[in-house]
Amino acid sequence: MLRIGVDVGGTFTDLVALVDGRIVTAKVPTTADQSEGVIAALEAAGIGPVKGATVAHGSTVATNALLERKGARTALVTTEGFRDVLEIGRQNRQSLYDLTRNRPPPLVPRELRFTVLERMVPEGELTPLDDNSLKAAVEAVAAADVEAVAVCLLFSYLHPEHEAQVGAALRHALPAAHVSLSSGVLPEFREYERFSTTAADAYLGPKLGGYLRRLVRRCEERGVPAPLMMQSSGGVVDVATAAGRAASFVLSGPAAGVVGAAEIARRSSFSDVLSFDMGGTSTDVAPIMAGEPGTTTEATIAGVPIKLPMADVHTVGAGGGSIAWVDEGNALHVGPRSAGADPGPASYGKGGKDPTVTDANLVLGYLKDGATLGGDIKLDRSAAHEAIGELAAHLGLDPVEAAQGIVDVANAEMARALRIISVERGLDPRSFGLVAFGGAGPLHACALAEELDMEAVLVPEAGGVLSALGLAIADIRRDYVSPLLAEVESLTPSWLEAAFEAMEASAAADLPDPEFRRRADLRYRGQSFELTIDAGPVEELAPGFHDAHERRYGYSMANEAVELVALRVIATVPTPPLEMAGPAPAQKRTATARSARFGGDWTEARVLARDAMAPGDEVTGPAILEMQESTAVIHPSWGGRIDDHGTLVLRRR
Amino acid sequence: MTLALDPITLSVLSAALAGIAEEMGAVLIRSSYSSNIKERRDCSAALFDAAGRLVAQAEHIPVHLGAMPEAVAAVMQQEPRPGDVFVVNDPYSGGTHLPDITLVSPCSTEEGEVIAYAVTRAHHSDVGGMRPGSMPSDSREVFQEGLIIPPVRLVQGGRELQEVLSLILANVRTPDLRRGDLRAQMAANSVGERRLRELVAKRSLETVRAAFDEVIAYAERRSRAVIGAIEEGVYPATDFMEGDGVTEDDIPISVAVTIAGDHMTFDFAGTSPAVPGNVNCPLAVTRSACYFALRVLLPDDVPTNLGAYAPLRIEAPQKSLVNARPPSAVVAGNVETSQRIADTVLMALAQAVDLPAQGQGTMNNVVMGGAGWTYYETIGGGQGASSAGDGPSGVHVGMSNTLNTPVEALELEFPLRVERQQLARGSGGAGKHRGGDGIERSVRVLQDATLSLLTDRRRRGPQGLRGGQAGDPGANRVNGAEVPAKVDLELNAEDEVTIVTPGGGGWGPE
Repeated sequence: MLRIGVDVGGTFTDLVALVDGRIVTAKVPTTADQSEGVIAALEAAGIGPVKGATVAHGSTVATNALLERKGARTALVTTEGFRDVLEIGRQNRQSLYDLTRNRPPPLVPRELRFTVLERMVPEGELTPLDDNSLKAAVEAVAAADVEAVAVCLLFSYLHPEHEAQVGAALRHALPAAHVSLSSGVLPEFREYERFSTTAADAYLGPKLGGYLRRLVRRCEERGVPAPLMMQSSGGVVDVATAAGRAASFVLSGPAAGVVGAAEIARRSSFSDVLSFDMGGTSTDVAPIMAGEPGTTTEATIAGVPIKLPMADVHTVGAGGGSIAWVDEGNALHVGPRSAGADPGPASYGKGGKDPTVTDANLVLGYLKDGATLGGDIKLDRSAAHEAIGELAAHLGLDPVEAAQGIVDVANAEMARALRIISVERGLDPRSFGLVAFGGAGPLHACALAEELDMEAVLVPEAGGVLSALGLAIADIRRDYVSPLLAEVESLTPSWLEAAFEAMEASAAADLPDPEFRRRADLRYRGQSFELTIDAGPVEELAPGFHDAHERRYGYSMANEAVELVALRVIATVPTPPLEMAGPAPAQKRTATARSARFGGDWTEARVLARDAMAPGDEVTGPAILEMQESTAVIHPSWGGRIDDHGTLVLRRR
Repeated sequence: MTLALDPITLSVLSAALAGIAEEMGAVLIRSSYSSNIKERRDCSAALFDAAGRLVAQAEHIPVHLGAMPEAVAAVMQQEPRPGDVFVVNDPYSGGTHLPDITLVSPCSTEEGEVIAYAVTRAHHSDVGGMRPGSMPSDSREVFQEGLIIPPVRLVQGGRELQEVLSLILANVRTPDLRRGDLRAQMAANSVGERRLRELVAKRSLETVRAAFDEVIAYAERRSRAVIGAIEEGVYPATDFMEGDGVTEDDIPISVAVTIAGDHMTFDFAGTSPAVPGNVNCPLAVTRSACYFALRVLLPDDVPTNLGAYAPLRIEAPQKSLVNARPPSAVVAGNVETSQRIADTVLMALAQAVDLPAQGQGTMNNVVMGGAGWTYYETIGGGQGASSAGDGPSGVHVGMSNTLNTPVEALELEFPLRVERQQLARGSGGAGKHRGGDGIERSVRVLQDATLSLLTDRRRRGPQGLRGGQAGDPGANRVNGAEVPAKVDLELNAEDEVTIVTPGGGGWGPE
């Protein structure tokens, strides 16, 4: 069975193919029409017409369309009196003190927002859908020359009938338009978040649909099966389903990386890890618990709340290329400005003059002077020294101390990000491992693990293509939600079973032989936020919720009534577990050494080439492990070995 | 002894301290019970050093800015010991108005030395008093506004004092919610203490203390640099509150802003004496409004701590509207007069600094209540336009930034129906850049209920700047008939309450 993952990043399109348990990789430049790069990657990997293969694909088409506001011209039909929900949002301003900063404009401007006379209330229909107003709204939408329409009526998550009527009228009048109903996209309460998610779904639908059609056609031409698409949740779905659920794809790329990290951790027998993907301009971190990526339904992407399940990825605008600077109060900062790839850090010798994190790593001896980075770039330590020298003079420090400072400040940013996805979620990082990847991740991992008292660091061999690996091994997944409001005490086992079975029946109609995971959104009566827990028998719901509340918030209230807000079913079609042969034994080469700075002192660190190492080989810090696409720094109190899966597992000694 | 920190340790620890305050705020919001804290985020969290100096604050709304230090100062007079948690809401002893309840926890080392205070403040949607929601428009003395809690221990040496909690809960209309929210505040405080201990373990007590000094000194340097760049001079301004709930008479607030070198003085001489109604401000509220005005001048990345405000001196005449004394009623001072104080100071500063025109200048406080329920909401409006562009529409301006309650949450929880919630188009002032539009919101009560309105700018719209026009004033209506800006009414089932919030002022000639 051939499994192929293709991940589209900002610069490169990566491919990982698992052929009889062996990894084949390819890297090609990302193309404007991303599907061309996908085909180019298949060509580069020598994958021609093939039957019975699975291809999974992570794309940034939806993400970019949202970030650049290049989605479809979209109309909105909503309840009379509530035309401005998308614009008012939650009425909070962007910045407490910068009074001039405005909110990003809504995806649907006012002139494309239309209303119908109708009203549902929690108990049901209050005002029937008025035929004349529906007719007028449909005519107005038809005259507005739009490609997509979002239908967002109040309380449709409980009573979808009016939305269905409006949707049918629109589809009849505008057969070519993409119509998204809020009761279909996100049947959950809180109108702004539901409307916003639905508007995003409509706005992105035509763009993603067009892309998928081109992709399928190109794959057909090459004789490769149509790809499965990675959703923000970390599971994949077929293209036909994907085209109708565009808002589920805005974190397609980062989610694949988290799935890859989870797989690396699983193979090395770690179930709880934080993934740490540090690239050139930004860093993604995410929690993985019990082997599964943590998900959130509270994400805001490019100023647009999207309340669908997404890998809980937190991004900070700092990476290897981030520029260090000193403000007028004499404090050192790193980022958010980045030297990018061009001109890049000062040490690239391409005209960059500003000191970056990469330059600091070079000055401290972590990166090798004269090392070549794909193509014509050669790291120049003296250029890094010079760039940092100016900053150092400003700070009254010598350049080496300033370099250390840049790394320390960057690490403080990273540590804060890791705390947000752990301690703020009620997770204790001390019981987690850190999976470090991306061009700069393994450089900083040991220092971060020390800062957060984490015991283990995992550096995967395939760190440069981890997202593509995640795609190759991802499960097929769909999420189902059913809103309810009931006191847990009043539920009967048969009612709960019937409710779940109904959802599972519709999942079974969508997917072949799915496995189900039952979840429940619960809260204390009167609370307005829910916790999602795994749902067992009805009598275990409340105790399970008390425990989860205790873990997350440090207290629980065993005597309070617990309310059920929604039931969820995660349906997955698991991909068979990956059996990979160990990496081929490598030729031993003698280690070299170079001076690197640890804890304020220069030390001779052993320098090892990853290519020359095999499973079972041990590493003791201080040491530097040079890999194909990144460099791992092993601090003096750390050491470990390369395990049978090619992952370097480091522990504090 | 002070240990000077290098710029790197300063940056690293500054991030760590801010991170602690942010985590406390996150825990408070996530674990609180009532919508007012969880959905609307009407709360703040902060860390103070052992001397009671503000070191880091995660403010979700500015009105808590200046008032937290007063709470810590008041608690410090009660000999706080490790394991204690103090509760306070007395506006004349560390509080602002009674619904804002502050919990102060001394943070100690393992050896029991108090090195800092973890503090959370949250607006509780009922603290007793004459009206559900504890936001009466017709109070004449602070005693009518709810239970007054001087700084007292809620927890002593790690043991919860049930008697104190029982006393508090016996005086409020929604005791279960209060208990849950107080628990959430305690949980947030204990997270703050735990994180601070971890920081000390990692960095040493000496270093953390030095960091307290340095982050404060750093913020002061940044603040002085900004003030020093403003042209020296005296900039006066006067603006008005439209009645105090007793009469509709204008109540003047006057300020003279003096810039001299790198420091500034806000002198409120000429401001009205305290009034019989409840728009009076204890000094803590005035300080919050002044800090807000100063904070608007500073870049966003200046940390929020005592240093940022060190270059500012506030002169407020005793027993005036902006420095009221007991037993003056104060509930609206925090939510309405604070807005006007900030407006007035910013209007004065606008003579020397490029600032936006006035925003809606009110929070449009609406409280409805009946048997077993209390609903409190504030409504956004128009922000003033600026040289940079049009003013944002339908947002909270000035001293508040709370979220609205979703219609779909509100109608599930309360016997209310929202009939309309949309922008009041064209209500922003004209100009080269238009002021933001206000919001029109109509709510029908489905059973008999009481209504308290605390609103302002119903006669005079927010002023434009540099030739821009004023925004439209707001309006309050019941079943279509105008009602006063500050009023308490009995509603019958099916009555419809409409609030139209003011538009922001325009900027520059059209």
